[in-house]
Amino acid sequence: MSPALRRRENISGYLFLLPSLVFFVGFVVIPMIMCVVTSFYDANMNLNTPDVFIGFGNYVELWQDPVFIKALVNTFIIVGVSVPFVCAFSLWVASVIYKMREGLLSFFRIVFYLPVVTGSVAVTVVWKWMYNNYYGIFNHLLKGAGIIDSNINWLGDPKYALWCIIIILLTTSVGQPIVLYVSALSNVDQSLVEAAEVDGATNFQVFWRIKWRQIMPTTLYILVITTINSFQCFALIQLLTSGGPNYATETVMYYIYYTAFKLYRFGYGNAMGVILAIFIGLLSALQFRLAKEK
Amino acid sequence: MKKILSIAIALLMIAGVFACNTGKPADNPDQGNSGDTAKEITLWTYPIGNWGDEATVKTLTDAFTAETGIAVKVEYLTYADGDDKVNTALTGKAGPDLIMEGPERLVANWGANGYMVNIADMFDATDKSEINAAALSACFADDKTAYEYPLVMTAHCMGINLNAFKEAGADQYINTDTHTWTTEQFTNAVKALYAKYGDTVGAVFCNGQGGDQGTRALVNNLYGGTFTNAEHTAYTWDDAKNIQALKALYDLEGIAYDASIVGGDEIANFYNGIFKMAFCWNIAQQQNPNSAGTGAGKTANGDEIVFMAFPSQDGKAQLQGGIWGFGIVNNNDNARIEAAKKFIKFMADSEHTADAVRASNFFAARSAVEGKALDVWSSDPIMAEYTKLMPMLGDYYQVTKGWAAARTAWWNMLQKVGASDGSEAAISAAVAEYCTQANDGAK
Amino acid sequence: MKKSKDNGQSVAYRIISFIVLLVLALIFIFPLYWIVTGMFKPPAAINSPTPQWWPQEWTLRNITELFSRRTAPLFGNLSITVPGAVRWMINTVFMAVMAMILTCVTASMAGYALAKKRFFGRTLLFSLIVAAMALPKQVILVPLVREISALGLYDNIWAVIFPTVGWPFGVFLMKQFAEGIPGEMLEAARIDGASELRTFTSVVTPMIKPGIGALAIFTFINSWNDYFMQLIMLTSNSNLTISLGIATMQAENSTDFGLIMAGAALAAVPIIIVFLLFQKYFTKGITMGAVKG
Repeated sequence: MSPALRRRENISGYLFLLPSLVFFVGFVVIPMIMCVVTSFYDANMNLNTPDVFIGFGNYVELWQDPVFIKALVNTFIIVGVSVPFVCAFSLWVASVIYKMREGLLSFFRIVFYLPVVTGSVAVTVVWKWMYNNYYGIFNHLLKGAGIIDSNINWLGDPKYALWCIIIILLTTSVGQPIVLYVSALSNVDQSLVEAAEVDGATNFQVFWRIKWRQIMPTTLYILVITTINSFQCFALIQLLTSGGPNYATETVMYYIYYTAFKLYRFGYGNAMGVILAIFIGLLSALQFRLAKEK
Repeated sequence: MKKILSIAIALLMIAGVFACNTGKPADNPDQGNSGDTAKEITLWTYPIGNWGDEATVKTLTDAFTAETGIAVKVEYLTYADGDDKVNTALTGKAGPDLIMEGPERLVANWGANGYMVNIADMFDATDKSEINAAALSACFADDKTAYEYPLVMTAHCMGINLNAFKEAGADQYINTDTHTWTTEQFTNAVKALYAKYGDTVGAVFCNGQGGDQGTRALVNNLYGGTFTNAEHTAYTWDDAKNIQALKALYDLEGIAYDASIVGGDEIANFYNGIFKMAFCWNIAQQQNPNSAGTGAGKTANGDEIVFMAFPSQDGKAQLQGGIWGFGIVNNNDNARIEAAKKFIKFMADSEHTADAVRASNFFAARSAVEGKALDVWSSDPIMAEYTKLMPMLGDYYQVTKGWAAARTAWWNMLQKVGASDGSEAAISAAVAEYCTQANDGAK
Repeated sequence: MKKSKDNGQSVAYRIISFIVLLVLALIFIFPLYWIVTGMFKPPAAINSPTPQWWPQEWTLRNITELFSRRTAPLFGNLSITVPGAVRWMINTVFMAVMAMILTCVTASMAGYALAKKRFFGRTLLFSLIVAAMALPKQVILVPLVREISALGLYDNIWAVIFPTVGWPFGVFLMKQFAEGIPGEMLEAARIDGASELRTFTSVVTPMIKPGIGALAIFTFINSWNDYFMQLIMLTSNSNLTISLGIATMQAENSTDFGLIMAGAALAAVPIIIVFLLFQKYFTKGITMGAVKG
């Protein structure tokens, strides 16, 4: 490339990027830098006490804070369970529906997308009622069927609460993956499938050797978006359990909010944010490395 | 089509510019002159009786505007998310001019954190003699600093479903005249109710801090434990009497620790007949159960509600006081502070005080206004009956340092007790852990 | 292709999976069904321990209740007042539409530059965008609140719009689309003497149209439902969005489920209609983005 052309590419490239960069730098990068800076201070809400620089003090404290560790574990349980499950579930649904008549296919696609569109706040309203200890539908049905004798306090029992949250999260996550898998499966090269069948391959072999490979890019994309989505599950926790009982549903995302606005410890909350950002950065890097290899 | 679309977008853009200008009266430069009084102030109020009801509050603020020419923009907060809202707003330097709540927030929290205006100059000698001593001292952070001007107060209590008690034969354990009972009578009543209904009849709710005055009073009263020391410098939950009470509640069939609900849900379950007793109760609830507007002292299906003091060994309860009033947020704008002071004077220290108090469904925090005796409720039999509880008002400890963090530790502690095996060792450990946490915040 | 049969798959498997699918469909539809029917049930029916599967007594009480709460100015500080819920709706539509327009414009330009321009720092910038994509907004909660308030935007609908536009997922998506533009076409435009901007509007934009469409719907839905940003940025009643409004209603009166259902319906039904109207483009758009990715 000639220097003149290179200059032109540089200038035009940045001009096209400019509007987007204003927002990205202004509302993501700058706050992130401020977040890192504040994480080294003992900053709180009190106007009378100045913020004190404490170096890695917040970070040292974090690793001794059992609630933070619990929150970190929960966060990774949520992501670790929901990501593979969403992939497997949506692949299964897609494999069942992708050969259906157009009307039926569209019906199922819409149905599984509904919770996404309905929005977490509206969906949560119903789930809160369904899980209700005293007049919820689950206790009503299970008691009616004689499976349980006394009411289970779904959201109030540390044994169940996190799973209750994960179930709601799943219903609001599978919509897009199903749409993606349906189209990926219909685009699988049919001649390869037929050739394999002629060679006497079983269904399973056809799936594993041909279809699975061909839909790999879709799978990776789904992994990425589901991971993003699982890290965003804040509303469910804030509206249903506030992180309880006994921190059973505490996630790092909620704990940051809680530390900042219930305990007024801004510096400490920001340190948590930095740790979480590092973990997520590593995870994304891993996923994109995988994507590149394929 | 394209034209219509672009016109629509242009209109939206213009509308957006308008939207940008809403909300903050402070942005208006001609109101900033110090010494002057602002033309508009904002008030954020928690649902204190009908101070959470737009129509009622509007009558009060309209009267104020008519007299002073100062407009009042009111935002209605809830107990579930109000604190978070105020905290984010203060962090965002976009707080209101006035907040209506109690000393536990205005004095011990936002005041102590430097966000409130010292209004000690609003209390003259007459005011000091007319305002209830406990309420007055709670509003002062120290001798010279006050962050709240009290308007109303009450004693928090319990509510019971009399019809259900009668059906279960548990009404023999309560005294509907003095509204008191002993720990033993309470235990027997719960047993009778459980025998009859076979399910949870009352819940130690602990999903969050909402309504925790009820759980605190219940635990403290059962065996005479305390929440803080008398000097309000340390939390004393690890008192053996509290542990005994927590264990007794754990062991009592019919009472459940429920980490899925807060006080508001408890009231609703009580109102809907699921619970037979509510620990989060007070006169405003008695007057208008569940804020449903279906008649004083009645549940949804018309059962009679009787308010009761918390049970204690000798039947003499120490009730938790509630004090509510106004505090001024420091927005560094004298004109707005002046206007806010006028508002407080109008509502809490003038001939309009009776109306302001009546709106809250609570009792006035002062006996007289400028020398004239204050008569708010003399014609209301329910209020008259409720005054029986007022002498039982206990220590107002909600101004202990680190209060916000201690409240959080309290419900977390209840969750842990509820999820434990109920052994004394497990309960003591849970109490000790969170009591230490609360005390760390009090240092 | 649709007619070709998988010989190996037994009929039994198909029937069973179809039944399982129907059951699942019921579960997925249920919340919406319950919101819409709950809206018409009297309070006693909603709070009853035995669920009422179909309203036995229809009432408009919840809807009238919803629209009789908390008045707010129709727009800005206008003196025309409307029920709070109407104002919330207006705010929400305004927010979602603005976020959608701004995101589509900025992201398509940026995506094109990242895909087709060889400028200095391109790889670095792209990695930064990818890394920031998965970042939960809670991470930058406090700094963002402080920054927004320093800009004087706190408790203003733009405080929600700007950070939404800043979120780089749109840029990533548009880059995937723009990769597909043949270099020769851009070269041809350049030789014809078209300016950079003209190349963008007349060559690039038509080619990434499906992507823009998908991003538009995607941003619209996301911004409509982005409860967290709304929660931390908006406080006064007249600035609330519909999601936030319902959450507040739930906090205020946690047990008036009928009222809350009516609010939830108001929040969900319009967005579902938008989705149903545009779902063809949406499906097409997201699939294309993924296949290229």
